[in-house]
Amino acid sequence: MLLQATDLSKRFGGLAAVSRMDFHLEAGEILAIIGPNGAGKTTVLNLLSGVLPADEGRITLDGRDITHLPPETRCHLGLGRAFQVVRPFLEMTVRDNVMVGALFGGRQRPLAEARARTEEVLALTGLAGRADVLARDLNLLEDKRLEMARAIATSPRVLLLDEVMAGLLPHEADQALALIRAVRDTGVAVLFIEHVMRVVRDLADRVIVMDFGEKIAEGRYEEVTANPRVVEAYLGVEDAADA
Amino acid sequence: MDLFLQTLVNGLIQSGTYALASSGLALAVGVLHIVNFAHGEFLMVGAFTAYWLSLLVGVDPLVSLVPAGALLFVASGGIYRFSVRHVLLAPELNALLLTFGIAITLQNLAVLAFGATPRVVHTAYQITTLSLGPISVGVAPLITLVVSVAVLSGMYAVLYRTGVGKSIRAVAQNRTGAYLVGLDVDRIYLLTFGLASALAAVAGAMVLVRIGASPHMGFAFVLKAFAIIVMAGLGNLTGVLWASLILATGEAFVRTYVPGGGGWAEAVFFLLIFGTLVWRSWRQA
Amino acid sequence: MRWIALAGLGAALLVPWMPAGGYQQYVVQVATFVLINAAVALAWDIQARTGQLSLAPAAFFGLGAYAYTMAALRGVPLWLAFALGPVASAAVSLVLGVITLRLQGLYFAIATLAFAEVVKVIFKELPVDLTGGAVGLTAPPLLGGHQTGLYYLGLAVLLVTIGASLAVRQTRLHYAFTAIRQGELTARVLGVRVVQVKLFAFVLSAFLIGLVGAYATSRLFFVIPDDTFGIGISVSALATAIFGGVYTTAGPVLGALILRTLEEGLHIVLRQGYLVVYGVILMVVILYLPGGLVGLLTRRRGRDAAAGD
Repeated sequence: MLLQATDLSKRFGGLAAVSRMDFHLEAGEILAIIGPNGAGKTTVLNLLSGVLPADEGRITLDGRDITHLPPETRCHLGLGRAFQVVRPFLEMTVRDNVMVGALFGGRQRPLAEARARTEEVLALTGLAGRADVLARDLNLLEDKRLEMARAIATSPRVLLLDEVMAGLLPHEADQALALIRAVRDTGVAVLFIEHVMRVVRDLADRVIVMDFGEKIAEGRYEEVTANPRVVEAYLGVEDAADA
Repeated sequence: MDLFLQTLVNGLIQSGTYALASSGLALAVGVLHIVNFAHGEFLMVGAFTAYWLSLLVGVDPLVSLVPAGALLFVASGGIYRFSVRHVLLAPELNALLLTFGIAITLQNLAVLAFGATPRVVHTAYQITTLSLGPISVGVAPLITLVVSVAVLSGMYAVLYRTGVGKSIRAVAQNRTGAYLVGLDVDRIYLLTFGLASALAAVAGAMVLVRIGASPHMGFAFVLKAFAIIVMAGLGNLTGVLWASLILATGEAFVRTYVPGGGGWAEAVFFLLIFGTLVWRSWRQA
Repeated sequence: MRWIALAGLGAALLVPWMPAGGYQQYVVQVATFVLINAAVALAWDIQARTGQLSLAPAAFFGLGAYAYTMAALRGVPLWLAFALGPVASAAVSLVLGVITLRLQGLYFAIATLAFAEVVKVIFKELPVDLTGGAVGLTAPPLLGGHQTGLYYLGLAVLLVTIGASLAVRQTRLHYAFTAIRQGELTARVLGVRVVQVKLFAFVLSAFLIGLVGAYATSRLFFVIPDDTFGIGISVSALATAIFGGVYTTAGPVLGALILRTLEEGLHIVLRQGYLVVYGVILMVVILYLPGGLVGLLTRRRGRDAAAGD
């Protein structure tokens, strides 16, 4: 078990955003978290990456308790995160953005090695041609690629992705899908939140369904989508374009 | 005991001026969400306006708070139009630096125009004092307190009893929301900035009567005003009244009871700013 | 750029030898002040790269100056007293840095401003035999007060500061500083040790400013709270850096050269109030010239993409 969350809980005032979540991620696995809006999916990612402190529960990475560690330390231990609303360093070039991940994530790489790693990641994510452009001048697709590239540059063992497909055209989503598979093939386990069901179906080894902060189903895509409780949670919310 | 009461009264009276000076700043910070470093200089300009009016036209300085306020209202409107407006959406540091620049410019222009020596006015009521039992209160300070209370009440009346006031409060709470319901946000900013500056000018006229006017007076006041609004919590207008009271009386007590207290009294304000900011930042953990 | 820098260094080295007739002393004096202003502005800029606007340079300058003076007056060998200046500033800045860790942007600026003012009052109000009180102390000059020697010492101090600024730019620190400035939380998630980096920037900056402060006493002859801890120092530092071009090494140097010369010129004409120039420049730059002079110059020569920031 590479990543494990036990009894994970987070409250905001009276609202239980995440409630006693138990789940795990195996090495080389691609796990999807799905659920209606407001189910607490992004909060789970925030708890995992250390952006928010958990009220209760434990998180372990490769057996090591990371529940109270700051985000940067979790990154050093191999946890990479891409945000849903992308957060590029606007006044830096694409290359420099990725350099930050390459320099400080995971192992603290020396400058020359980080540069090599950056070029590698730029090629992998198809950003090599835009490497010298300022991040503020990118379009949405490139923004998302950069977000992922930066996280990948940290050489994570676990990559957390938050709705990377949102706003992408079908062929762009296919490219992103291929990229995630390529990343997994380099030995990275992936935990991703997604609304686009087609992608979940094609990509995920296993699926977890959340509703109102709780896990209500877990299993393979076909199993959970047939689960009546899951269908009920999604009623009226499912995107008619996917099926 | 008498000394204690006297000090208390001194503090109470001083708090009026502080409250007046700080409320304007609180308004600017709360509504426009920028820190107007030039606020102290607006106070200084108000003081000098009152001074010159009283010298040249013979108008009593306390009466000239009206034209002083009006002047600053208009002038600051121009300043808003041509500079402040452009940095409202930029990183907040830009607004800070810009108003800092405006402050330094105004301050030094005043030095160039008026020289660095302080100016004082002479009115009949400056030397008169009233005796209430064991406590003596100068008529001038008392009048300034009354005026401050009156002006502040007027400000509150405008903010909470008029349509304009409601618009101002709406913009303060949610700029985008206000815009979406059709409020002219830019005009409200202009209005508020003018109002805040006018308040500073009035406070300046008060200070002129009680102490005098000098080009460097603005700086000390803006720091004190910061101390007060930081203590009150940014954007909290009623808190400003309490904070002014506490800080003014605190200052008065340090002045009276701490040997050589004058100098340390200055530090009191800054220590309070520093302490409050730091304490709040760690508490929010 | 290299050539311009070398030419500048050459010119700087030759200043004491330039023929200026009776004004020789004056020229060297002004040049020394340019060095001082440039160094403080550079040091401020280093710390500003992490995105925090500090108004504490005055405090660190004064601490460096007072540490040197107080030590020298008590019989400490001058070179040791000189070293004490930056060390004292750095130590205090470490404490201040830790305390203000959670403050951002505006609040951080106000807190550092308040801190600087408190320090000023402390030095003013402490017993006269300890710190000289409001009247101040006379500082024993370094190098026996030898004008030319002092100039070169000042140049050395500036070169050290330039070196630090360049080092920050050429190493991984550049990426760390810039990332923190443009998105602190994102930087943390990417593994940047934000707390350590911010503290490092703060302490390094204070160390350098303290060094300049200790040196400057030989130029200013005495330390006195209102001037040595005066807010003018902080204002000059940030206005100079912003005018010249913030987050660059050439910017603060260029800014100091122009601004200080301008100030001296104005000072001759206007006995007081010449600081108005700083105010106007600050306004103009913020409104119209966000990249400062360097930004203006680089834009005209075309964008150099490899320059990064």
